[in-house]
Amino acid sequence: MIRQSQLCGLFVVSVICVSPIAAQQKIDFNRDIRPILSDTCFKCHGPDEKTREAGLRLDTKEGAFDDSSIISPGNLDESELYQRIISDDSSELMPPPDSGRKLTKKQIALLKAWIEQGAKWSKHWSFEPVTAPAVPRTAGSKKWASNDIDHFVFRQQLLRKLKPSPRADKITLIRRLYLDLTGLPPTPEDVQRFLNDKSANAYEKLVERLLASPHYGEHMARFWLDAARYGDTHGLHLDNYREMWLYRDWVVKAFNTNLSYKDFVIQQLAGDLLASPTTDQLIATGFNRAHVTTAEGGSIKEEVYVRNVTDRVSTTGTVFMGLTIGCASCHDHKFDPISQKEFYQLFAFFNNLEADPMDGNRKNHPPFLNVPNEQQKKQIADFDIKIAESKKAFASALAGYQYVEPKTASKPEPLSKPREFIWIEDDAPAGARKSGPWRLVGKNKHPVLSGNRSHFEQSTAFTQHFFTDSPTPLVVEPTDTLFTYVYIDKKNPPKQIMLQFNDGSWEHRAYWGENRIDWGTDKSPSRLFKGDLPDAGKWVRLEVKASEVGFTKLTQITGWAFSQWGGKVYWDKSGAVTKQNQKVSFESLAAWTKSIQKSKGSGLPGPIAKIAKKPADKWSKADQKMVREHFLLHIYADSKKQLLPLQQKTAAFEKQLAKVKSQIPLTLIYKERKQPKPAYFLNRGQYDSKGPKVERETPSSLPPFPKDQPRNRMGFAKWLTNGKHPLTARVAVNRIWQQFFGVGIVKTSEDFGAQGQWPSHPELLDYLADRFVKENWDVKKLIRTIVTSSTYRQSSRVTRDRLAIDPGNVWLSRGPRFRLDAETLRDTALAAGNLLNKKMGGPSVKPPQPAGLWFAVGYSGSNTVRFRKDSGSDKVHRRSLYTFWKRTSPPPQMSIADAPSRESCIVRRERTNTPLLALMLMNDPQYVEAARFLAQFAIDQKLKTPDEQIEFMVRRTLLRKATNFEKRILGNAYLSHLAEFKANVAEAKKLIALGEKPADKKYDAVELATLTMIANTLLNLDEFITKN
Amino acid sequence: MSEKLTFQSEIRRFQNLQTRRHFFTNSALGLGSAALATMTAQNALAMPNVTSETGNTFPHVTPKAKRAIYLFMSGAPSQMDMYDYKPKMLDLFNTELPDSIRKGQRLTTMTSGQKRFPIAPSRFKFKKYDNGGDGMWVSELLPETTKILHELAFMRSVKTEAINHDPAITYICTGDQLPGRASLGAWLSYGLGSENGDLPAFVVLNSTWSARRDAQALFNRLWGNGFLPSKHQGVMLRTGADPVLFLSNPSGVSKKMRRKMLDSLNELNQKTYEKLGDPETQARISQYEMAFRMQSAVPELTNLSDESDETLALYGPDVKKPGTFAHHCLLARRMAERGVRLTQIFHRGWDQHGNLVGDLKSQCRDIDRPTFGLITDLRRRGLLDDTLVVWGGEFGRTVYCQGRLTKENYGRDHHPRCFTMWMAGAGIKGGVVHGETDDFCYNIVKDPVHVRDVNATILHLLGIDHEKFIFKHQGLDMRLTGVEKAHVVKQVLA
Repeated sequence: MIRQSQLCGLFVVSVICVSPIAAQQKIDFNRDIRPILSDTCFKCHGPDEKTREAGLRLDTKEGAFDDSSIISPGNLDESELYQRIISDDSSELMPPPDSGRKLTKKQIALLKAWIEQGAKWSKHWSFEPVTAPAVPRTAGSKKWASNDIDHFVFRQQLLRKLKPSPRADKITLIRRLYLDLTGLPPTPEDVQRFLNDKSANAYEKLVERLLASPHYGEHMARFWLDAARYGDTHGLHLDNYREMWLYRDWVVKAFNTNLSYKDFVIQQLAGDLLASPTTDQLIATGFNRAHVTTAEGGSIKEEVYVRNVTDRVSTTGTVFMGLTIGCASCHDHKFDPISQKEFYQLFAFFNNLEADPMDGNRKNHPPFLNVPNEQQKKQIADFDIKIAESKKAFASALAGYQYVEPKTASKPEPLSKPREFIWIEDDAPAGARKSGPWRLVGKNKHPVLSGNRSHFEQSTAFTQHFFTDSPTPLVVEPTDTLFTYVYIDKKNPPKQIMLQFNDGSWEHRAYWGENRIDWGTDKSPSRLFKGDLPDAGKWVRLEVKASEVGFTKLTQITGWAFSQWGGKVYWDKSGAVTKQNQKVSFESLAAWTKSIQKSKGSGLPGPIAKIAKKPADKWSKADQKMVREHFLLHIYADSKKQLLPLQQKTAAFEKQLAKVKSQIPLTLIYKERKQPKPAYFLNRGQYDSKGPKVERETPSSLPPFPKDQPRNRMGFAKWLTNGKHPLTARVAVNRIWQQFFGVGIVKTSEDFGAQGQWPSHPELLDYLADRFVKENWDVKKLIRTIVTSSTYRQSSRVTRDRLAIDPGNVWLSRGPRFRLDAETLRDTALAAGNLLNKKMGGPSVKPPQPAGLWFAVGYSGSNTVRFRKDSGSDKVHRRSLYTFWKRTSPPPQMSIADAPSRESCIVRRERTNTPLLALMLMNDPQYVEAARFLAQFAIDQKLKTPDEQIEFMVRRTLLRKATNFEKRILGNAYLSHLAEFKANVAEAKKLIALGEKPADKKYDAVELATLTMIANTLLNLDEFITKN
Repeated sequence: MSEKLTFQSEIRRFQNLQTRRHFFTNSALGLGSAALATMTAQNALAMPNVTSETGNTFPHVTPKAKRAIYLFMSGAPSQMDMYDYKPKMLDLFNTELPDSIRKGQRLTTMTSGQKRFPIAPSRFKFKKYDNGGDGMWVSELLPETTKILHELAFMRSVKTEAINHDPAITYICTGDQLPGRASLGAWLSYGLGSENGDLPAFVVLNSTWSARRDAQALFNRLWGNGFLPSKHQGVMLRTGADPVLFLSNPSGVSKKMRRKMLDSLNELNQKTYEKLGDPETQARISQYEMAFRMQSAVPELTNLSDESDETLALYGPDVKKPGTFAHHCLLARRMAERGVRLTQIFHRGWDQHGNLVGDLKSQCRDIDRPTFGLITDLRRRGLLDDTLVVWGGEFGRTVYCQGRLTKENYGRDHHPRCFTMWMAGAGIKGGVVHGETDDFCYNIVKDPVHVRDVNATILHLLGIDHEKFIFKHQGLDMRLTGVEKAHVVKQVLA
């Protein structure tokens, strides 16, 4: 729209566009002509070779003037382009009628005027180097200007017969400045201090104070996180938790320490390639890991890989260059000079991540970095020392243990009372010979009753697992009870389960369920029916009397089988209830050695088992030492008694250390593969349609890749920031400008290409970009310049004249006025009632949101399928920057107020007014709680009248004195609400019970509820939710 | 006084300009009229043709439908167990899918490692039913649906490229496999606005389902506004006290009190407006008023006490259980009556990789009677004349078995090459069966319909030419149907 308004002024746009005006106008090719050509002609006569018609190219000077008959400067009759656009013959007419495109009369007039004026051509403005325009100082502008910005603005105003608005009053200014620099409102005390400061540089002092505030970094980070598409979940399919908040903290810190924009870019794009990068520099590389990822079952890795890299390239294009590079992934760019090949040459810079493209649904999708805090570092160091010491103590105890081979083995005596002896736990007894699929499984995914593991089998027919030849037998009398625990899968129960015991023979069996396993003699101790299948879905104890299965005298059982027909069955601890004192250990190294040789090391750890398989006379000294140590540590009772506690001490330390380590925050980072992964031209962008291999290269329409830089992301980042790139500084400066004025100098802050909007103040943009580079990319300095300009400090009041000439405030003849962004809305409401917790940094928090939002969309197996609100003010009343961002269901308080989903890069938010926003601001319990806190605050002042309380609350919210009108309106409302609550105290109590922190009993419910409603009104005021 | 009046009229003039400005800003190709319709909340059908700056007019084509109801089966229903009858498969039980059919097409990595691709014929009985045309084979899973076949136009040859849920459902709902685009309903809201100033233009319902609990996820982006202004995003109507987020007043606050509060708020805002002259302030006042009206309109919508027993019976017994598909079908009819532009019901649980027989039965039971009820109810109230109803999922399922194959049970993997959808109501020729797949239900042999063609057809019925329905974003002409050519499926049109 800016284009038209420059020509005609807004009033006439909708009426008619008059060619004489255009004819008088001095045509600027980039401003007036290129947009027309781009929009109407480039699709068929542009950069994309494949769709180019008639060999005619109109996006380059060479193409357009290749043949003088196309455009003949100064001569309309000889310019075919002109003749074709005004042709009556539909087969001649351009653009063709069936293209759906049509030139307006005004556009035709412009093209006509352009040719008449000599058809001057220039490269698209944003691809030209940044100029250093002279500041257009005039006598008039000098009177108004506070700094150079104002001269540029003044000149454009003058051209449109506009004048600057008066300076905004001090209260409006301090609020505007606080909101713009910290995202938080000032307190009435801050305002008073500012009003009291009569010094000439009071405002400048305030600017300095706010730029030094830690909340400045938080506020600036918020905009960047939209661009970096930061979220707390992967964003696709399961949308599980992903840990990256350290990256958010890094962004805050980068702004607070005023890291130069150059380093800000380099560290994020290539921090890992710096010489010995610091932890911070590695965290910064999370920028290229923040895109959405998936691990959806069935996904094809190569396809996911291509999507991930394409996102990195597109985001880099948008954020750093303001170019829609992503468009060139399937075909040559239709409008801007970026070919498809050049897209894949850029792709080659960003495809070399040392990672599985699939995220595994893990919060720590590698590569990632553990970042312990100081306390954790100390704890780890302490444990390292303790562990080393206790290991040393253990080693010396082991070495010093005096083992004497006993002459005779003692016989165990029976106990006085039966007790439960567990023979099988976590595995078959050590040294036993195992057969069948012993599937030992842990608690994470399977039912386990005791110890660390259970064992299971799943089948559609008969199956079993068992052992024989246990070196430590289970000794039972006929009256003893054998037992085991079983867990039958609910969805997949077996037909039958069976236990078998071996004392040299297997003819001792008991079964439950159907009679399918055809062993032994039915209805005898060799196949005894014990009942129906036990209940499924829980652990059940099975018992068998020893005598029932044919053990009629003192017996040594050395084997046990777990058998089933079909289904899925888990087993856990098994043994006997017996008076027999079981032999659980060997008392002789010689005897044990013999036994492990006999069982060929079955059930022993790998290295020992390997030794056991060799004949003892072939054992080396080291072998003997290992066998001896294992015996002393695990087998021999006396030494075990001494050594085990020492070993357990180490284990306990290690466990504590592991716990500390598991709590260490981590963040995803970028890591380059050693061997560059080859990149290919992908036909139509399809992962499985590879064309020729491509090398790393930057687009030819931009400055050449620096010769002295490595061909990697570092070189790429340096190329962006060496001061010669025409886009980097312009795009950055424009985005920051947009923060303050609501609209960028280039409105389309995401697109500086041919389809983007022409800058409203091109010289000012260049001036700021040039200065930004020369001043070492100093962000705070740039912001200081912006906010100390007279342009920024104007009143935002709209007068008739200004409305008529400049409804969108393109020419900046008044101050910015727009609704606060989602985060600031919430933070401001919490701050008004002193409810905001200003703690900085750390993991994301979950303030309350309506129930069921995650569940309504979430995959049931996702670890973010159920929302659980955090509790405590340090979680639920934090700044919105820290709110947990589930990307497939973003926090409604944010998305209702136009925050993006963070699924893809966004550098410009919409601002809409909807009834849903109104409902949220009026009814969300957290906003109601904020209102109640404001009311409590007023009551705490011990003021005499409701009027005074209202005045107090107006001052807290609007930072100024209440007008008589406001006092009357709110006073009336107060009486009305009061009467209603008085008539129904229960309702008042309900209202004040809402929120995280319930109201103190000291408050009168009716009074508090009434004032809460007044506060609710104030927090919904246009003046309150707007930056004025 | 007269000074003030002049100023007021000046402001109005400015507001008009703002409207026009908005209109033109996004209007390089005929979108302006659409945006204008939204702003004035006018009925597109009643609206005079508007010519935009570049000479396009809107509506582009004569609209047949004023609104639509989209029954979305998330997870991908098995077409060959419901609507695409493949009798020849019965003799090929457990035989290998011929290479001549599979043609080396890519498979998901869930089955690409399988050693065999044994054919699993549908174990459900099919019967041919009268549909007012050549007849239609339907399986025993959908007895009630067979009674409304004369209303339905089937497309048995719908296809997509995506083979996994997230990209595929994002594709059909927003026109692209990657996040970031605007959804169908957001486009409709943007283009056609709402017929009812008290209700959102685009409403989404997420139903409960009966198959196993771990159903595929949905994503807010499926009804998101993408690059369109966020007021066009779908509003999820939830089960329970607060059908729309933050709709109810806080406990303790009566309607009367809210009214009083709004009166004072409006007066104060009006004063701000007079002081600063920002038209946004007036827009805000009107949005707060609409919020207040919604507080009545939505509960009125969701309160079913005025529905007769006979009507309730049409939708089946589940209609009384809030959150079920049956309940949502009835709500969809009530929204159609009230002029909601698009009501989209998402019914999850259709991802039958295993235990297809048990789970598909439950899923079909969920939807069969309510679908019959919805179509019948819309018809007898005359609403089907200007309401379009669409049924379908994000892709189809394979003829070969995933996992264990028995005579009793089997599973099926994702299959993007062909699947079945249907449309009914405004502008649709009932009783049509369009498109054909091969004997294996693997490849399309006649009349392929791409998912973008489905979207083009929906837009067409609502009076919109998908080629001309454009929003400028990042310098590009964004379309719901994307950059590849899309075609309106003329064969299903009346």
